[in-house]
Amino acid sequence: MEPVTQPTTAAVGSMSKPPKSQSPWALARRKFLKNKIAMISLVFLITVTVLSIFAEPLTVPVEETAKINLTQMSKEPSAEHFFGTDKSGRDVFARTLHGGQTSLLLAFSITISVIIIGSIVGATAGFFGGWVDNALMRFTDFMMNFPFLLFVIVLKSIFLESSTATLIFVISVLSWTGTARLVRSKVMAEKENEYILSAISIGCSPFKTITKHLLPNVMSTIIVQATLTLAVMIVAETGLSFLGFGVPMNIPSWGNMLQEARSPDVLTSKWWIWIPPAAVLTGTILSINFIGEGFKDAFNPKSNR
Amino acid sequence: MLQYTIRRLIGMIPIIFLISVVVFSLAKAMPGDALSGKIDPLNSDPAYIEEMREKMGLNDPIHVQYVRWMSGVVKGDFGDSFVHKREVMELVGDRLPNTIILGVSALLITYCLAFLMGRFSGRYAYSMGDYLISGFNYLALAIPSFVAALVAIYIFSINLGWVPATGSIGSGVEPGTIDYFLSKAKHTILPALVLGSLATASYTQFLRNDMIESSRKDYVRTARAKGTKESTIYNKHILRNSIIPIVTLLGFDIASIFGGAIITETIFTYPGIGYLFVESVNARDYSVMMAIAMMLTVLTLVGNLIADLLYGLVDPRIRLS
Repeated sequence: MEPVTQPTTAAVGSMSKPPKSQSPWALARRKFLKNKIAMISLVFLITVTVLSIFAEPLTVPVEETAKINLTQMSKEPSAEHFFGTDKSGRDVFARTLHGGQTSLLLAFSITISVIIIGSIVGATAGFFGGWVDNALMRFTDFMMNFPFLLFVIVLKSIFLESSTATLIFVISVLSWTGTARLVRSKVMAEKENEYILSAISIGCSPFKTITKHLLPNVMSTIIVQATLTLAVMIVAETGLSFLGFGVPMNIPSWGNMLQEARSPDVLTSKWWIWIPPAAVLTGTILSINFIGEGFKDAFNPKSNR
Repeated sequence: MLQYTIRRLIGMIPIIFLISVVVFSLAKAMPGDALSGKIDPLNSDPAYIEEMREKMGLNDPIHVQYVRWMSGVVKGDFGDSFVHKREVMELVGDRLPNTIILGVSALLITYCLAFLMGRFSGRYAYSMGDYLISGFNYLALAIPSFVAALVAIYIFSINLGWVPATGSIGSGVEPGTIDYFLSKAKHTILPALVLGSLATASYTQFLRNDMIESSRKDYVRTARAKGTKESTIYNKHILRNSIIPIVTLLGFDIASIFGGAIITETIFTYPGIGYLFVESVNARDYSVMMAIAMMLTVLTLVGNLIADLLYGLVDPRIRLS
């Protein structure tokens, strides 16, 4: 007899199978791609990011942007200097791009560490519950009491040499609490599902249950939170640099560039020094917020916009 | 309610204690010490410096220094400012009214603007005006306060010359006169407008969504069925129900206004608590810095308590326990 089992089962399989439904991720992607504002924002953000990454080949090396050039002070925009030069004769266009590199890189690093700390604390507290949850959440509540800006400034001035690494550390330490609470509440709701019970009952370790089963299902919340955190962190970094407590002055960043506008002379008559970083900064935050809204919408099965 | 409040207040004591330990340790960890501002700068004799250190108790073990500081704080004495050569409480007392004036005017602006915009958006949802308002909301959420402040100074102070860009009072005005009041108002309006209008977004959105939700409820259908005028339905029936939840946001605002004033006050060189804080960190004026950090953190605690109490007050379904 011919071995016909193979094709038969395949045929039966394909016949009885219902049309393949799309995965939640594919649905979200389709919804996101249809969201015009979010897509425009994404294009804008990618453009700004790419320009910042390639700041060096496009303009001048980063050492050049710190060099003071007394012959080129406060020049208006021209063909040679697209955005003019600042009070120390440094090209504003080059500094905007290099500043974008600093500001975006910092914001990305802070966001990643905030999300990692927040997810670990939140997932641990939510999954184990009991005294672990109690202890971790008490600590989170305690950390939430400290006014953010105030304590970043205090912590920052403890470190004698100001570097971008200390800034990342200081901001991350003070801002993971919101993410931890959010992830905890999502994990607590998710762990009531039967698939988690069955994962535990077949002997999955807590670590594996959290990373393989729980986190992928709260990932959409984490992604939305990460996007919104990114926008907040750009504001935090530029605000701190603006006050003089952020990135060291010799490194160009959007906040450091805007600090020049604190001198009345620049603010009054040299608009080309502060308008470009202000505009790019606001545009970037706006587009990140729109992308975040787009994600939120795309992941929400109830919304059908 | 009273019992709950008392229990919460008692629960705050250990937290305030922990916060004071954190604030004290951070101040101690900062470079330099309180001595530099207190001694005769011309006398660099090591024996003299050592003697002064001993006299001020800077050589004592850290916990002794903490207990000394804390026993002062409990009595409301935060020590002396090294830079201003005055008592910290006096200095803070001088600056606090400015911050309160700024904060209250900002809150008023937020509430008025958010009320008007939210009411419009909620009633005429998905109209042209609604989209304009939500566009403004997105911008207000995105634009950093210092960028908004710079633009506001550029437009209103420099180009139009309507209001001064810095300070909180004109020179040579006598306190208590009409001129004094006008000068104060002129100096406060721009920072308050910046702080206040940027904070409207969440309120507006809250009111709008609540009104849209309420407009689908049964009591609104009943009112319509009885032939009530549409304007009466919105102004009397819906608005009254939708305005209540907004009150609860007030508690969180108390802390955020004082904390958020740091940037705004610095840009406008507005002599309030936030500006004083930045000055004292820059000048390493520890006693002032610790006092402000302590006060604002406790204020955050109190603000959260007020928010919780207001929740229970406006929504009897929430049981505080």
